Amino acid sequence: MKWLLMLSAGLYLVSCRRIVFAAATACELAYLAGRGLALGRLPLIGPQDTLAFLACSVGLMALPFIFSRQLKDDNVFCWSCGGLAALFSLLALPFPTLNMPLPPVLDTMWFELHVALAFFSYALFGVAALLGGFFLSRGSRYLLDLQYRAALVGYSFFSFSMVSGGIWGYYAWGTYWLWTPKELWTSILWLFYSMYLHLRIKGQEWDRMFACLGIVGFLISIFTYLGVSMLMRSSHSF
Amino acid sequence: MLKTIYQRLTSLNLGLWLLTFLMVALALGSFSPGGGENSRINDLPLLIWLRHAPLSYSWWLWLAVALMAVLALNAILCSIEALRKKGRSIAPHLMHLGFLLIAVAHLVSASGGMKDVLQVGEGTVIGFPDREPVRVEKISGETDQSGMPISYRAELRFANGEVGTTSPNHPFFHKGFGIYVKQVDLGPMPMALMEIHREPGALPALAGGLLFTVGNLMLLAQRRKRE
Repeated sequence: MKWLLMLSAGLYLVSCRRIVFAAATACELAYLAGRGLALGRLPLIGPQDTLAFLACSVGLMALPFIFSRQLKDDNVFCWSCGGLAALFSLLALPFPTLNMPLPPVLDTMWFELHVALAFFSYALFGVAALLGGFFLSRGSRYLLDLQYRAALVGYSFFSFSMVSGGIWGYYAWGTYWLWTPKELWTSILWLFYSMYLHLRIKGQEWDRMFACLGIVGFLISIFTYLGVSMLMRSSHSF
Repeated sequence: MLKTIYQRLTSLNLGLWLLTFLMVALALGSFSPGGGENSRINDLPLLIWLRHAPLSYSWWLWLAVALMAVLALNAILCSIEALRKKGRSIAPHLMHLGFLLIAVAHLVSASGGMKDVLQVGEGTVIGFPDREPVRVEKISGETDQSGMPISYRAELRFANGEVGTTSPNHPFFHKGFGIYVKQVDLGPMPMALMEIHREPGALPALAGGLLFTVGNLMLLAQRRKRE
């Protein structure tokens, strides 16, 4: 099965064409579907499964942008999205798979919804960061509009993820909120994108700042996902 | 002068700065001993923890609460100002309202929440918070081949004869309290780690979350139509 993950990483790395990018995403989806069928649940436990899930999310969430009217001929953007997805696929490879049954406390649709939506939002924040980078280098305003759209949909997914996480927490732990580093950084990320979306109201003179913040937001996402789990002591980690 | 203060309080700039400072306070808190899981912050209602924790542990939370209070006022006044103007969408204001309800929910839980941790065996009588005796009738569960628990539960009997079962993700609710089974040891003498919670902010938090979601979906639909 791991060969599918390697194949998708390889395809992402050479995904200058949209069709290659779509093929890479299909391979990643097939890998996750295989894992899911073998485990009888969504593969969302442990670094390998979550990193592969994030790579697949980047692939899926980037597809509407790659196939959009404005970016359909932009092979560099397609390859950049491929590079981002490949990075997470390659990071997933060294980790062992966790094939244990789901711990009872995680065996609920609220947990799966919470985690899956969080990864979709991280993926969209990643696409938004790339669009921000392209805007800074090329200056075409449609890139900033696309960045805003990616971030707004990502923010919506992230907000739904927080609501479903609160429901899960209430039924699993007795509270919808715990003061842990993970939750603090989740709040920081949500506040950051709240600020980012409000900044749009300030007008075009803030365009470059807006694009830069789109990039900073993705760095905070990655710290919230990987940094907190690896650097800080928290029960709320993969 | 009052007009100037009001204009400052309704300004977008103030909201953006407050969000920035709030993020900084929470980020610093996440690295401080008071924000980690080794502090007792999750074991006590937040207002009690704030009253008793040393300021070196809790300063970031005091700062965050103060910033949140001004941010809530800023959100309320901005919504009022925007709704005064005709033809404005209500979607962002539903999101503001949802956010405010969640903030109120935290305040309600911070003052009226409760958590009790108990280690029990079969036959143990728990003193419920209102002193009603609750007897743990049975602790049971299943494990996989490796011995890892795949499900477990505790059966309870209340003074009025009512019986109930609590298992992971399926707490038993009684008189406004949730009874949770956290861990079991299925040895010859089964034992369980149980918790009793009261979370009075849960309902307003859910209402706030749903309002925010409705506003968010409306905003997405409006943006889609506009494009």
